[in-house]
Amino acid sequence: MLEKNGVRIAAVSYDSQELLRNFAEKHAIGFPLLSDPDSAVIRRFGIFNSNIAPGLRAYGVPHPVDYLVAPDGIVIRKYFVPNYQHRVTASAVVLREFGDVSANAAAVTLHSGALTVEIGLSGAEAFAGQEIGFFAKFSLNPGWHIYDSTSIAFDDPKVVRQSFEFPPGPLLGGSFPALGSLLLKFPVDAGRTILSGRLSFQQCSEALCEPPETIAFELPLTIEPFMVPAPKK
Amino acid sequence: MAGEIPEDLAEKAAIMREFGRRRAAGELVSDELYARHVNATNDRYTTGPEPGQTIPEFTLPDRNGDLRSLADLTGTNGLLLVFHRSADW
Repeated sequence: MLEKNGVRIAAVSYDSQELLRNFAEKHAIGFPLLSDPDSAVIRRFGIFNSNIAPGLRAYGVPHPVDYLVAPDGIVIRKYFVPNYQHRVTASAVVLREFGDVSANAAAVTLHSGALTVEIGLSGAEAFAGQEIGFFAKFSLNPGWHIYDSTSIAFDDPKVVRQSFEFPPGPLLGGSFPALGSLLLKFPVDAGRTILSGRLSFQQCSEALCEPPETIAFELPLTIEPFMVPAPKK
Repeated sequence: MAGEIPEDLAEKAAIMREFGRRRAAGELVSDELYARHVNATNDRYTTGPEPGQTIPEFTLPDRNGDLRSLADLTGTNGLLLVFHRSADW
């Protein structure tokens, strides 16, 4: 997904080259893993985690930041979730930066009166604890509008944090896109699951307003299994 | 390194040690301990360069020992540079 849009990935940790080599071979990692054993680059970026006492295994780790950097080194966007076990999915990055979604990602089309809304996820799979993206493409017949009280909410126990950015002000007839994100609970059972959401809106013409409406919808998503470390003997 | 832990990190270190010990032993980690561990780890977090700023220059060895920097890592539209804890845990 990222590669297709001209973005490569590289990862930095304080691990030794040897450890990274073993890890990359074991898990068939296709992108460069860079070794910063004295955390010098981690410090230079200003993300050295100073909460960890010297002597602990985690001493030297960074705060878990992902930077989308332009070829000239300028930061385009930062993706950061304070909990180090949470990460944004590649598909959420691609949706936000390029408006592209995975071919097999779930989408539904909702329809009421003058309004049609297509809502879809950025990808078909995610790990527990990851942030996935969703889009909503609104289409309104001419002469109708909806207000910025329009919301999309996932009242789903698997979603621990969510955002939805609707353009400010009433939206008049025509088409417009909106984006949102969902942070998945950690842990969640692996396997195929359903995310339940609600679209709430009120559509008005110049002559009248319809009553406020809420339409429930469901989007399937596959929660990928974690690699479970073997118990220490 | 016992005894060398700075005072202001001692409480956090105790939480991290207990979390690590339970995990390594395969014991149950309560939601409360997990939350304390995450809070201790993320206290006063920093996230480095902001959008619009330029990242520091870096040259680091990859798993094969080849030195890599932004110029040879980036794609035509950019690089997603991921900082993570360790591939070993």
